[in-house]
Amino acid sequence: LVMKGTKLQLVDPGLALKDLGLEEHNLRFTSTVMLEEEGQTTQTADRIYQLVKTNLKEFPVSYSSDGSISISDSVLVQVSGDEESKSVLVSWSHQVIKSICKISSDGSISISDSVL
Amino acid sequence: SDGTVNRQKTYMWGNVNIPAFVEALTKNGFVDIKVEDTGEGCTIVDLPNDDTLIQVEPDNTHIICNGEETVRIKIRDALLKCLKKI
Repeated sequence: LVMKGTKLQLVDPGLALKDLGLEEHNLRFTSTVMLEEEGQTTQTADRIYQLVKTNLKEFPVSYSSDGSISISDSVLVQVSGDEESKSVLVSWSHQVIKSICKISSDGSISISDSVL
Repeated sequence: SDGTVNRQKTYMWGNVNIPAFVEALTKNGFVDIKVEDTGEGCTIVDLPNDDTLIQVEPDNTHIICNGEETVRIKIRDALLKCLKKI
């Protein structure tokens, strides 16, 4: 609820911040998970992509040609490594974890734990 | 876990006051806290015992943490105390 002159207006909080000349503060988390999984990194990335797509139907999930997976434009998953083991980088913004933790089937509160 | 999607968003603004953040981290149980000023309003807060590095910049904070979820929650709560919210 914003007061402009003598009028009260209901505005989107993001717009209200902009109107006041305030910049939003972004919180981003990054965590790397090690996986003992044989095979190519693309196979691991494919498996994660299928899991994410199946479990997070509410959110747009995209899979780019470099093998990284994006969820809702805010979560990024990147797989690297060799034939023997993989490291999976998961990066997400503070707001997204709040949304996704609600829909994880095991009650886990992090996407990395619920997806992997 | 109840299958509902929470789309409520909290908007945060302002910059993190480093001494206040370190104090909040200490209150949340962190004992080994190293602070390095990297210039232009950027600071790195290192928590070596918890495998965590926090990059604090104007309007952005990046928490690189390979530790447990409980560690991330404690860091998040300490940060939220230092930011303004609507």
